[in-house]
Amino acid sequence: MSTPIIAKFAVRTLGRNVRRTLLSVVGIGIGVAIAVFMTAFMRGSTQMRVRAIAESGFGHVKVVPAEWERSRDNDLRLVDWEAELAVVRATRGVKAAAPHARSTALLGFGTRVAGVEVLGVDPVAEAETSRLVRAVVEGRYLKDGDRDVAVVGRTVTDRLEVELDDDLLLTVVSKGGEMEYAMLRIVGIIETGSRDMDASICHVMLEDVERLTGRAGAGDISITLDDPLRMDTAVSRLRAVVSPEDDVLTWMVVVPAQGGDYKSDKGFMNILAGTVLVVVILGIAGAQLTAVLERRREFAVLIALGMKASQVVRLILLEAVVMAVMGAGVGLLFVWFPLHQTATKGIDFSTMMGGDLAMSGVLFDPIMYSVPGLWVLPYAFIIAFVSTLIAAIYPAVFALRTDPTSALSLREA
Amino acid sequence: MQDVLVGASAVTKDFHVGKITVNALRGLDLDIHKGDFLAIVGPSGSGKTTLLNLIGALDTATGGKVEVFGQDLSGMSRRERAELRLRSLGFVFQAYNLVPVLTALENVEFVLELRGEDGGRRATAMSVLEDLGLGELADRRPNEMSGGQQQRVAVARAVAAKPRLVLADEPTANLDSENGESLLKMMRQLRDEHDMTFVFSTHDPLVVAYASRVVTIRDGKIVSDIRKNSGEEAPGEGVEVRRKGTEPPGDGTEVN
Ligand SMILES: Nc1ncnc2c1ncn2[C@@H]1O[C@H](COP(=O)(O)OP(=O)(O)O)[C@@H](O)[C@H]1O
Ligand SMILES: [Mg+2]
Repeated sequence: MSTPIIAKFAVRTLGRNVRRTLLSVVGIGIGVAIAVFMTAFMRGSTQMRVRAIAESGFGHVKVVPAEWERSRDNDLRLVDWEAELAVVRATRGVKAAAPHARSTALLGFGTRVAGVEVLGVDPVAEAETSRLVRAVVEGRYLKDGDRDVAVVGRTVTDRLEVELDDDLLLTVVSKGGEMEYAMLRIVGIIETGSRDMDASICHVMLEDVERLTGRAGAGDISITLDDPLRMDTAVSRLRAVVSPEDDVLTWMVVVPAQGGDYKSDKGFMNILAGTVLVVVILGIAGAQLTAVLERRREFAVLIALGMKASQVVRLILLEAVVMAVMGAGVGLLFVWFPLHQTATKGIDFSTMMGGDLAMSGVLFDPIMYSVPGLWVLPYAFIIAFVSTLIAAIYPAVFALRTDPTSALSLREA
Repeated sequence: MQDVLVGASAVTKDFHVGKITVNALRGLDLDIHKGDFLAIVGPSGSGKTTLLNLIGALDTATGGKVEVFGQDLSGMSRRERAELRLRSLGFVFQAYNLVPVLTALENVEFVLELRGEDGGRRATAMSVLEDLGLGELADRRPNEMSGGQQQRVAVARAVAAKPRLVLADEPTANLDSENGESLLKMMRQLRDEHDMTFVFSTHDPLVVAYASRVVTIRDGKIVSDIRKNSGEEAPGEGVEVRRKGTEPPGDGTEVN
């Protein structure tokens, strides 16, 4: 079958005013490039954020006592943490799970004190899930069999003026309301790059927290998932296996500041991309409208010859589709280099963030990468199609309104 | 008895330009018969184009009745009128109005495509061009053809779908007499061989000379309607028709 004339008509029409067509195509291309870039970058930043949150000890999702979401009380404990840890680890989609027991505490050395949140951990599980374990710059992290030892943040050692192997005096308030003391030897020092964050780090063995506070067990289980995008599925699966008195929360609930940031970042990006596309659509609609107006006589003649409304619309949409294809191609061409650069080299945000990469207890990566993929291709074409088709609506309506009598008279020529 | 293709009775057409009303047609009666080679003449502004627009279902009358092939146009929707034009009418315009980005062949083929004809459209279009002796123009775009050639291709486009009635608004106005004459011969041949009916609006004595019937309108009314004898109808080879200063025969001389 040969190409329908209407298709040749559409393509050649675009060749009639090459400059206008090129400008429109470049316009679509820019819109597509910006939308693709922002989406790829948003993906990267989301992945990085989610990874940073998970590896900062929060997990992707977390098992906590049901009461915790409301009170955020560190003294709450899970119903039967060992059993829950076992079923959680056996749940499909769970990559690693680390139990924690927390307590507010004072660290003292000589006459100096520092308030910290003591985190009782299982060192093996922690090593699997936390990036803080990798931030030990002096000494070592905790290991199985340790007792009465601590790994603390650099700011803590600076404030207390202590060093590796010094013994700290730890004071906590026990379950019974009494002061409990313990001597902890510093076996490792953590430096995250954020002084604020380092000021609150004090990791000890889970058993030590249990013994000192008199509260048995763990207060939460942080879980990292194989696929963080399928978080909601994982949550419902986990809710089905944990005790009814405990709950499973996503990072967005656990770290509401990050959840909010994530939503506003995403919203901002969408608004920005949307604005760009609206401007592009208006530009193309304007150019197309001019093109239709210039062709009034042509449309009048075609309508006089009996071309139906649907055929007129088809012609204009075909022109739009051809432009969309070219626009998507140009857009991909435009975006290729920035996408390649940001995907391989990334953008270093550390100086922008003043050297401190921690926010609301989350230790971020200094470099953000865009995450392009094959999705970029259909995405570019869909954006180009949708925006050019929207842009073609008004010009098409205009073409349809052409009075066919103007074909015969020269009055409106 | 001759078949009546178009019946117009007491047709009026008003245009409103601002507060002014222009009565372009003021109670016009006209029957067009099958096989007519009809020239509508009259001074500029007398309503010729307006009449063709009404007969061609491009516009609707203000008053009176226009029937084409027995169908009353006033009762038809836009869509039905488009369908009627596509199926049964052909148009030739003074300014040729070929689609500039399509070749001669494609211009003809496009009409067949618009009709939804499938299969062999290209061959049909080609044979239409060849029958009219335009085969060698097939691959030329309008800007690669002379006015005369463009208008002949426009006629090919108008008749490709075998319409019963072809309407041509001042078809020769932009052509020299040689091209005008060959166009008229072509159309007369089409009428003779394919049973088509032609209606022209014109100022051109040449068209009047070729016409089988000449209707004169003035101020939106018919002032004369002359049917020539068949012998008189077609100037033969070598008959000279002067374009300038020649009063169209019958113009204003006889009133129906
Ligand atoms: N679309 C229109 N709007 C306003 N006036 C019109 C329109 N079409 C035709 N007329 C008027 O109607 C009259 C007849 O016009 P027309 O049919 O074009 O004449 P002709 O073709 O014989 O020169 C003229 O006075 C013209 O100005
Ligand atoms: Mg006219």
